[in-house]
Amino acid sequence: MPPEPDIICAPATPEGAGALGVIRVSGAGSCGMVEGLLSLETGRLSGMRRKVALLMDGERPVDRVVAISWPAGRSYTGEEMVELTCHGVPSILATIMELLQDRGARKAAPGEFTRRALASGTLTPLDVLALARILGGEGGGEELAGRLRESCRRLLEDVRSCSSALEGDMEFGDPNPDAGIGDAAAALEAAGRSAAALKEVADRLEGVGRVVIMGPVNSGKSTLFNLLAGADALVSPEPGTTRDGASRTVTIHGRRLMLCDSAGTGGDGLDRAASIAAVSSIGPYDRVVWMSPCGAEPVPDGIRHASLEVIEVAGRSDLVSEARGGALRVSSLTGEGIEALKERIASAPGSASVSGLAERATHGIRMTSESLRSGDFPLAAVHLREIEDAVTAILDEGKSMTLSIERALESLCVGK
Amino acid sequence: MENSACATDVLVVGGGHAGIEAVLAASRVGCSVVLVTLSIGRIGEMSCNPAIGGIAKGTLVREIDALGGSMGVVADKTRLQFRMLNTRKGPAVWGPRVQSDAARYALEQREVLRAHGIRVVEDEAISLEGPTEEIIGVTCRRTGMIRCRAVVLAMGTFLGGRLFMGTERWRGGRTGDIASERLEADLRQRLFHVERFKTGTPPRIARGSIDEAALTVQESGSDDFCFAFGGSGCRGRSERFHQTSTNVGTRDAALRHISKSPLLTGMIGGKGPRYCPSFEDKVMRFPDRTSHNIYVEPMGFGSRLLYLNGLSTSLPREAQLEMVRSLPGFGNARISEFGYAVEYSSLHHSEISPSLRLRRGTNLFAAGQICGTSGYEEAAALGLLAGLNAARTVQGLERMHPDRMRSYLGVMVEDITSGGSTEPYRLFSSRAENRLHIRQDNAERRMLQVATEMGLLEGEKLETAEQRQTQADMARQAILSGSCGGVPARVLCRRPEVTAEQLLEVLPGLSGIERAILDSVILDERYEGYIHRGERRMEARRRAGDVSLAGIVSYLGVKELCWEAREALERVRPRTLAEAERVPGVRPSDVEGLLLHLASGRSTWNTGDGSSGSRA
Repeated sequence: MPPEPDIICAPATPEGAGALGVIRVSGAGSCGMVEGLLSLETGRLSGMRRKVALLMDGERPVDRVVAISWPAGRSYTGEEMVELTCHGVPSILATIMELLQDRGARKAAPGEFTRRALASGTLTPLDVLALARILGGEGGGEELAGRLRESCRRLLEDVRSCSSALEGDMEFGDPNPDAGIGDAAAALEAAGRSAAALKEVADRLEGVGRVVIMGPVNSGKSTLFNLLAGADALVSPEPGTTRDGASRTVTIHGRRLMLCDSAGTGGDGLDRAASIAAVSSIGPYDRVVWMSPCGAEPVPDGIRHASLEVIEVAGRSDLVSEARGGALRVSSLTGEGIEALKERIASAPGSASVSGLAERATHGIRMTSESLRSGDFPLAAVHLREIEDAVTAILDEGKSMTLSIERALESLCVGK
Repeated sequence: MENSACATDVLVVGGGHAGIEAVLAASRVGCSVVLVTLSIGRIGEMSCNPAIGGIAKGTLVREIDALGGSMGVVADKTRLQFRMLNTRKGPAVWGPRVQSDAARYALEQREVLRAHGIRVVEDEAISLEGPTEEIIGVTCRRTGMIRCRAVVLAMGTFLGGRLFMGTERWRGGRTGDIASERLEADLRQRLFHVERFKTGTPPRIARGSIDEAALTVQESGSDDFCFAFGGSGCRGRSERFHQTSTNVGTRDAALRHISKSPLLTGMIGGKGPRYCPSFEDKVMRFPDRTSHNIYVEPMGFGSRLLYLNGLSTSLPREAQLEMVRSLPGFGNARISEFGYAVEYSSLHHSEISPSLRLRRGTNLFAAGQICGTSGYEEAAALGLLAGLNAARTVQGLERMHPDRMRSYLGVMVEDITSGGSTEPYRLFSSRAENRLHIRQDNAERRMLQVATEMGLLEGEKLETAEQRQTQADMARQAILSGSCGGVPARVLCRRPEVTAEQLLEVLPGLSGIERAILDSVILDERYEGYIHRGERRMEARRRAGDVSLAGIVSYLGVKELCWEAREALERVRPRTLAEAERVPGVRPSDVEGLLLHLASGRSTWNTGDGSSGSRA
């Protein structure tokens, strides 16, 4: 991956007064930049060095600071880095930031240091998740990331044992029609338990995924929300009353989700503003249930591109016999299609998040078991192989973890 | 001394399973051929187990048939019993297996050669003539030099063969045969890198000397099956097959004499097959196991000899007698032929190209055990390919390179020429990534295009193949365009419980199509999605192959790999991921484990040691 050209800088300590303040500078040339800032001779900070120096702003002394440097490859971000420790006075910090920016550094975006650490490989995506957890104050995060990795590895081992047992049985086992499944069954059960354990851990780390119900005004979103959430939301017979939307944490078929209602698109005035806000809030890890009466209104491109997945629902199916191709027919009145919709929301195949992995593993194990029962061992082996691939991909940083990481990085503040 | 009356396009050395297919294939595509063999009487002899087929091997035989080869047809004609293995484990691992009358099998193969007008020279080939880059002929001991434009080496275990039983040693390829030592010397002189492998055979028992009532009968499968697509008409006669098992007595007998086992005492330097081990191997490796299955197979219809499948051994005669007599029903058994081990030379994998041409030459080919494979089926398939490619070389045409995603032939050729083996290569279904596609039921369709392009099918065989393909196409069309109750037929096929009968009821277009073909097309539809995904994954892996492994210090500590892979990689030390993939013992998931390990190796933050690891 090519190195970022910019030198970034940001305070690493929280806003407000404190005993100490730390500003981090990262990027090729950052050591030289700080040498210049502190009027040190060239090379004084190259390698792993430490220097106490007086920082001047022109003729005015700012503070006595400690500069600690790291060479590229041996720092948090993987790049050349310098950490400046000063007294924790906000104005001092602000001045140092100004001086650095004068010399060409750029103020870092939230989570940018960690993003660079991820890119250079010093941090894994699991580490980032844990970091976000710790910094987000929910605690126990680091332990969880370790547990998550452990759970993934255990699942991988169990799946591989099952694979071996299966291959051995196919090749050397009893070839007679009355032969049983043997060791593979026990190994599969163990894998099933590992997958369940992984799911539990992953769900806790991931937090809760959003499912947002969107659609044109008065298409029955709130009624649907009600049905799915299983509780009362504000539904008034007067059109246009659900303006701000409501969200509830619900459990659908064992999967915990944040279900959100929203104001309808296509309205005017306050409705319009609210709906625009809702659409722009859709993130890459959100799923949208697009509800339109009889499936008449197509999904706006903006929503399709922004979201993880769009589930199209043709509401008011009791009114018409045909829905637009592909949409789920649903009637809040008769209850038609609600179960199918719940299944769809809860099963979420193809999700690229960590809990998505756990679900795919569980699904894969179910498929394996079915194949074994119907006497198709090679097909069972293929299902196992797919689980193996999915888990290996997740442990192989960078691919399916992308979405969880983006979210985590955004949740970090500036200077992290 | 040159025998100028003898000149030919393709000369095949060796009349075993590989040689037979090679000479027939070269002849079928239009070349003049000569087969040189030490003994005409022993052409097509089954030196070991009198059976053809099995899991993956059976599929290979059907591929041979689909390419116009002889093995399947002759196995059908001379069969004593048929069983389809693994019928409850899924169609992709069904293994058709035929017990044959060994003597009749050999006779039938000789008859096939005669019917095709193949010129057979009974002599010992002693050297190749001309520079290795372009062989101009082969010199035989009595006949002199036979000029030829291409040579296929298919000498099997004869090459520098030495036989071992207990403390006895003697030269030979099989008991009673002379080894072609001079040819091996010639090959070594031409700097061919040669490896030593070993294989074993069990004792043959006199049939009248055992009590069959004490044995378990092995039931035969249905009579319908034929290796040959479209059937081969002739049915063999049926025989009785039995099963028994070894016991503590057998094991102890082996242990008492174990110090005299040449396979274990290191007298034999060659590496043996892990999956067809001798009985003494099994006893040493699984000391607690008191019982191993033994299959009792008559060598032929009414034959006086019984073959003991599972009791391969090189222990001294007294030990063999004790072991045999410890089996239930064998208390008074007489051993007609004792078991023995053979050590032989085979070419190093680096010498062979994926078309079976020896890399050092332009017109020299190899097939069968000389390539490091074990088994009649493997030999026959390689023979067919080598004979075909020798002929095409003579004709100035491009050689055939079978694809590992399309056939077991492809899997085997790529495996033996790229990674080599530390033991004689045997085909397993797990070697095929595309196992769901490479099945015994669809071999004819998988091979048809190449068979017709290469001109390997002719006459009635070609007509039958084309007719069957037409039926299959019709079936596929009907399924793709049909539906039942709003569900497309294609989707119905994916359900494992849906049978051909059920489809026949709803799709009238399917009536008239042969049931076996219909079943096969349904399976193709059932697995299609998985097959496509697998092919895409294969493609992605091919692209990832160039990753360098230089940064890995020791594979033994790489947790992402299973133990077998760790040992194999530590030994071979491949330079790139692509090379690692081809190391025997490394499975596709181990390759991904390596990728995973390489990625995590860059994580210095947690270890804090500051090294940047391997930036592959």
